[in-house]
Amino acid sequence: MRKKRSAGKVVDTTITYILLIVVAFIFFFPCLWLILASFSKSGTIYSFEGFFPKEYSLASFQKLFTDTSMYNYPKWFFNTLFVAAGSCILGTFLTILTAYTMSRFEFRARKPIMKTTMVLGMFPSFMGMIAVYLLMTQFNLINHLWGLILIYSAGAPMGYLTQKGFFDTIPKAVDEAARIDGATNFQVFTKINLPLSKPIIVYTALTSFTWPWSDFILPKLLLKEKNLYTVAVGLMSLDETEFARFAAGSVFIAVPIVLLYFCLVKNMVNGMAAGAVKG
Amino acid sequence: MKEIIKNSNGKTKLSMIIMGAGQLAYGRIGKGLLFLLSEVSILYYFISRGIEDLKGFFTLGEQKGDAWLGIQGDNSVIMLLMGIFAWIVIAALVCLYRCNVKDAYHMQKLAQQGRPLPTFRQELSSLLDKKFYATVLVLPVVGVCIFNILPIVFMILIAFTNYGGDIVPPELVDWVGVQNFSKLLTLSQFAPTFFKILGWNLLWAVLSTTLNYFAGLGLALLLDKKCVKGKAFWRAFPVLAYAIPGFITLLAFKFMFSYGGPINQLITASGGTAIGFLDLDAKWSARIIGLLVNCWISVPSIMLLTTGILSNRDESLYEAARIDGASRWKQFQKLTLPFVLFSTMPVLIGQFTGNFNNFGIFYFLRGGLYLDGYFLASDTDLLINWLYNLSIDNNYYCIGAAISLVIFIITSIISLIVYVKSPSYREEDTFQ
Amino acid sequence: MKRKSALFMAVIMGISVLTGCGGDSGEKKDTSNTGQSANSVFTGELEENVTIRVLENDTAISKGYFDELINAFNEEYKDKGITAVDANMDQYLDLANDGPYGYGPDVLYQANDIIMQYADGKHIYPLPVESMECYEQIPETAWDAYKTEVDGNTYYCGVPVNVQAPMLYYRTDLLPADWETTWDDDGNKVPDMIENWNDMYAFSVARHGEDSSKYGYMKSLYDVYFSGGFLFSYGGYVFGDNNTNPKDIGFSKGEAEKGAWVLSQLASTMNEECIDDTITTNVYSKLADGTYFATISTPDVYSTFLDELTMEYEKEGLTTEEAKAKAQENLVMTTLPQLPESGDLTEENPTLIDTKSMGGVNGYAVSAYTKAPNASLAFVEFAADYEMQVKRSEMLGVAPAREDAAEEVGGVSELLYQNMEKGTIVLMPSIQEVSQIWTPAQTFFTDLAKDAFRSESEKKYPDMASMKAGLEDVDAQIYDAIFTLK
Repeated sequence: MRKKRSAGKVVDTTITYILLIVVAFIFFFPCLWLILASFSKSGTIYSFEGFFPKEYSLASFQKLFTDTSMYNYPKWFFNTLFVAAGSCILGTFLTILTAYTMSRFEFRARKPIMKTTMVLGMFPSFMGMIAVYLLMTQFNLINHLWGLILIYSAGAPMGYLTQKGFFDTIPKAVDEAARIDGATNFQVFTKINLPLSKPIIVYTALTSFTWPWSDFILPKLLLKEKNLYTVAVGLMSLDETEFARFAAGSVFIAVPIVLLYFCLVKNMVNGMAAGAVKG
Repeated sequence: MKEIIKNSNGKTKLSMIIMGAGQLAYGRIGKGLLFLLSEVSILYYFISRGIEDLKGFFTLGEQKGDAWLGIQGDNSVIMLLMGIFAWIVIAALVCLYRCNVKDAYHMQKLAQQGRPLPTFRQELSSLLDKKFYATVLVLPVVGVCIFNILPIVFMILIAFTNYGGDIVPPELVDWVGVQNFSKLLTLSQFAPTFFKILGWNLLWAVLSTTLNYFAGLGLALLLDKKCVKGKAFWRAFPVLAYAIPGFITLLAFKFMFSYGGPINQLITASGGTAIGFLDLDAKWSARIIGLLVNCWISVPSIMLLTTGILSNRDESLYEAARIDGASRWKQFQKLTLPFVLFSTMPVLIGQFTGNFNNFGIFYFLRGGLYLDGYFLASDTDLLINWLYNLSIDNNYYCIGAAISLVIFIITSIISLIVYVKSPSYREEDTFQ
Repeated sequence: MKRKSALFMAVIMGISVLTGCGGDSGEKKDTSNTGQSANSVFTGELEENVTIRVLENDTAISKGYFDELINAFNEEYKDKGITAVDANMDQYLDLANDGPYGYGPDVLYQANDIIMQYADGKHIYPLPVESMECYEQIPETAWDAYKTEVDGNTYYCGVPVNVQAPMLYYRTDLLPADWETTWDDDGNKVPDMIENWNDMYAFSVARHGEDSSKYGYMKSLYDVYFSGGFLFSYGGYVFGDNNTNPKDIGFSKGEAEKGAWVLSQLASTMNEECIDDTITTNVYSKLADGTYFATISTPDVYSTFLDELTMEYEKEGLTTEEAKAKAQENLVMTTLPQLPESGDLTEENPTLIDTKSMGGVNGYAVSAYTKAPNASLAFVEFAADYEMQVKRSEMLGVAPAREDAAEEVGGVSELLYQNMEKGTIVLMPSIQEVSQIWTPAQTFFTDLAKDAFRSESEKKYPDMASMKAGLEDVDAQIYDAIFTLK
């Protein structure tokens, strides 16, 4: 009996790993292709042998960072970093607070707000872009990076429903116990709920960092000066013959996000000892 | 409110006339001044430009600009936008006014009962405790009002004007009532294409949402298994995919499947003939590629989210289930799925609408085609792409706004019903 | 409360009706103004201590021409306190959207269709061109591209700088060694395939026949800018009344189907890559590595072809200098070959007609939102003078619109200039509706290319009648796109 079970376990583990390898391959292969393309020596994708370049060199990365007269990638990169970091901090803060409030407090406007935000999120957004642009011209926020931060973080709480769903699964019993001990709502939030919600904070931070990082439409609309471009806009403005540079730029764009992921990964899985609350 | 008007005393009435006056009369200087200050600043706004803006909202400009003649004209769209802004300020004023009167009345009642009035300090600290929600929500609500609601209202109103085509500033825009909608209804070419596209669009939204969601959830569960070592490492692959901006991914995939792309190179090198995965005859292969590429793009974020949520589930229930001898499938069906579905219902709905309005995927993969049997659209276009072809390409903003309003109503009704019926809305404490 | 708000609304509505009436009377008042001259902003008095932001195209910036231009200008106008700077904006910016809010450039360099769309919305100023030095030197056809009529007056809204039209690129070192005996029937020392499409077709078939990995003429068909010319050569056009009447769409007019037939014959000598945009992007490297023999493209990408070819020669072991010299010798850019009148590329000794091509005139315009119109005009005059034009042409390889500059530069520039005078360059329409022609026409050309690779029984365009029908569909679609929602 025991033997059979452990044999089953081995089979199960093997299948799991095979699946993992397949998944990793599916996700990794196109990335690998892009990475290798960025190291291609010839600078064009049409001299490849099948999927991969014939010769490799670091030239396109070197070009990316040193040849900045037309395409100032380092500058774009820091612009994007600034916008993404700013919107990540502000956006995460606002979203988590909103979600927490909507999950924990009872007040009259609550259900209407929930329904309204649900519906508002459905409006085909690119039509609204015209209005956002006009609005920003009135506030004199065109050609300002923090104008972008403002819009991204103002829009972030619209997506609070996901986070609210998470907070709904944290037992309220803890809150009540703390409140009996005399904690204010503010303290309950910072001392008890916040530590419990690390995974969702990580998720929110990651998404609100990535969104400005890869968004193209809004920065294109609001940033007119080339040296204020974000990476996405800059890459799209590259000439069609600049493929290797495009690939190099696209690969490098992923670096901060992957780094951020590795910094945050240990918080991905909740430290909440399961059952400790209820049991 | 009626009750307040009937029972109010002098000091409360004072507040009805000048905001904050009643509070001042009760000796609550800080609060009173705040109310007064806000009233003054709003009044200042209205005198300096608000009234003009409101007028502009109705006229949409009277003087046509002409740079060649040196005439400084009115900009209709700006007037519309600032007009809406003025309405929002009015709404804010009404809210503040109500707060102010209610607050004065509340103090009146406390005074009548002989109870002490809360000090400014006490009220401030209640903002961190009992009224914590109000403190927290002010900023998001203001932000959302200005950057989300205002643009949406603007677009809805645009549907009732003649903005677009030749009529863009410096030309003057006018209100035209429901003319755009009646235009849409009377066009006979529209109906067949509309229903064809709507059908595909719904199919697409359902298929891609299901595919993305279950693939993401499956991946999260797979990575959550006890036997998997180095979870952070395995998770990094989807994260890598997630880290590359969507439009770059789409362009890369488009190239991969193009005639000169690596896949066709391999096919021709091994003696086959090149396959047009995305060309104009490739209806279903293009649709399926779109579906899979979209899956590739969306799965990582769903995986990250469900990973976070799964970590919150109650292990003791699984323990119990295992003791009862429930199979793994049963555990998934009875414990995991309801739990995850519950907390991700909004995400699921968001995914559905996001996919329903997924503009980028076919725009990048297969843009620039009008096919037989479709009115200015191709067989992979979603409604939003069609909308783009019809309106933005032509600059017919008003028609575009009218169509998007129709799409908006359809999608929001569907998802509102689903959402209101879902347990995550009705029984928020299911998993407490 | 409810009744109150209703009353409030009623009052507001009342006000709006009143102001609405006021609006009407206000409009009537200023119709009396329209008689004034629109050129009154150009007083000739230069604004002092101003900075003008100039938008140039990316090639001019990356090749260093633009730096030379603004440096020369700034040197000249130093004492007047006028400085020109790079606007540092996207070369395809939208002046109509950015200008009114102060985010546009003062002077912009664009193609004629774009400039004239801005002129429609009065986003740019009409220029006093008759008084400019370059007026006499630039042919009337080029000026016509910038002409517009408002209230019976004629205005010119831009200054032509260079002519853009498709050119044939090929490599002399890929010609057969004995071409002078086998591919030069008329003995004029110019290879026949460069002179007419029939021989180009024959050569493409022969080259591919010898080595299946090699091709002759290659070009993605979908690109309307290049494929459109074949239709125009046989009587097709974009819009009627000299490209001004959007109601009359002419892709199928005349014997345009012959042009479509020529295209489909050419496509049959290529591979499937002509269906999508593959060839458009890979042509630089494939011409360099010898896979393709010839293609068509605009003159402004000459340097890109040259760079690629130089790199290829370097790989073969030449030094940079040698490689560059060899590339310059072997890469030839010339005018398009002639077409057979019958449209049949297999015909022996055909009657030949000129190939028309869709072209454009790029030039400078002055934004109507500039604070310094006179200084901007001074910049335009400076940039359009002889010296700068010759320099521009030398550095960028573009064909100048000025006659004296074209003569000085010679070669292709002169040929292009002559073509424009002769009328074989059909200028891009300058009306706004032109934005609707691309997708329908592009779809048709893609379909035509695909047809070359469909099996005999599945072909959608087996004969000229079906091509004509296909083109008529294109016209109908464009008409729908323009007028359905108007």
